[in-house]
Amino acid sequence: MATTADAVAESTAPQAGPNRPLWRRRGARWFAAAVVVAQLALVANGYRDPHNYFAFQPFNESSTYAVELVRVLDDGQRVPVPNGRWEGYDWNELIDWGPLRSPWHQRHAFSGIDAVVDFLDHALDWMADNTPGDTETRYWEATVTYYRNARGPHVTVIRSHDREVGDP
Amino acid sequence: MTATVSSASATAHWRDRFHRWLSEVFDEPASVRGAAVLRIVLGPCVIWHLRPFLADALDGITYHDRFQQPWWAWYPNAPEGLYVALLWIGVAAAVLMTVGWWSRIATGAAFAVVAYNLFLSQTHFHHNRAFLVILLAGVALCDNGRAMSLDALRRPPPDDRALVWPIWLLRFEAAAVYFASGFSKLIDPDWVGGRVLHDRSVRYQNEVRDAIGDTLAGPVLEVVTARAFHWVLSPAAVATELFIAFGLWFRRTRLVAVWVAVAFHVGIEVTSHVQVFSVIGIGALALWAVPSTRDRTLVTPSRWVGWLDWMARFDITVAPGASWCMVDRDGTVLEGREARQFVRTRLPATFLFSRFWRYR
Repeated sequence: MATTADAVAESTAPQAGPNRPLWRRRGARWFAAAVVVAQLALVANGYRDPHNYFAFQPFNESSTYAVELVRVLDDGQRVPVPNGRWEGYDWNELIDWGPLRSPWHQRHAFSGIDAVVDFLDHALDWMADNTPGDTETRYWEATVTYYRNARGPHVTVIRSHDREVGDP
Repeated sequence: MTATVSSASATAHWRDRFHRWLSEVFDEPASVRGAAVLRIVLGPCVIWHLRPFLADALDGITYHDRFQQPWWAWYPNAPEGLYVALLWIGVAAAVLMTVGWWSRIATGAAFAVVAYNLFLSQTHFHHNRAFLVILLAGVALCDNGRAMSLDALRRPPPDDRALVWPIWLLRFEAAAVYFASGFSKLIDPDWVGGRVLHDRSVRYQNEVRDAIGDTLAGPVLEVVTARAFHWVLSPAAVATELFIAFGLWFRRTRLVAVWVAVAFHVGIEVTSHVQVFSVIGIGALALWAVPSTRDRTLVTPSRWVGWLDWMARFDITVAPGASWCMVDRDGTVLEGREARQFVRTRLPATFLFSRFWRYR
């Protein structure tokens, strides 16, 4: 006859081996196999992905970069953006993210130069979408001068998407 | 014919071993104390990780107010109030994790909050945060409240055993982190040749001066900014990571690998602040403890062993005035100083300062 203590012990004992339904035993194995395969795939993908997400390649470079940021107006005029300030906006306040802070100074490229250039590209688009008070700028352009592991300089130019110019 | 029979027999042998291993990993309960130790370590790390997000939230700033790069367009964006509430739920879950109250649910909740926050924006990604998410997921999958928890005090389970396949999965993940990091540097000539570390050392030498003062910094910088120094340091760093990745898997090298890993993480934290990575990296080493407990007997006159035996390596009898005597898993008997030294190699708090290489 089962006692209360037996019932408690049974309820707290690990459901192992033949006590577990087959689908749970098989499910655990398939789940673990899927995790292993996914992790290996992510590690391999890190050699292609500039951000190497979940590929665990920290401190991969010692690269530096600096950005010359200009606003390109509707008439094609190129207006420099000294210290990231224009029309009441401030790059550092808008972006507010350490790796892209004050990029007009020489900066360490967090997670590698390719990752920084990719983030800068997205940051320019984000600025284009989030500065409604700026009614003049057609698009932003960033000239990135970088040293990959102290070799360089290399230069690449990126720009935001076009935006509507006119009244806010 | 003989060769064919021999080959078939070897194949059958390895197949049997593999099936036994699979059964051991997936079906046989074993001690989850390693996961419990990691749960306790992860709790404060979750709070440490969420702290800057909470500090911003207290100033009225969330990810909505700054540059963000969504991972996926379909990923739900929490409104500001809900987002801040989720962060606080993460903190509460972390506290519950540490004390072990509703351990598994709390770990799951902490995982959900940290993972949700990580995947809100690619700008939230750091390798240490990814590792934190993985560790939280693995510990949540494990019945981690069976040891070292208020849950175990309130409703004592018959033992600390449960299914340990999540621990094996976390072992793989931890080894993968060291391997991926080491291998990527091994195949990068700039890294293994010392160029990357040398350039960083030169660039950040002012920080060294600020940290330790000009008098001490002079001779230190003379060494660490020398190009030749990095011809040695960089390959050594790569070899260290790869050794940890493989050394943890084998019983004969495991203790050395754990010791090297602790030194490695402390070194990284001192030279480059890496958020929660050092602490969770050291905490995850608890996963490599053999998942069986109290399977060595120890007679000791001292009470401190019981207090420091967090991994429950010993079945301890405290006998005032008795001399030390320890019986190992294989029946080996050690007495006196030998027993004391062996015990030190198995206690997390004294392991680093013991002669562990004598008792592998």
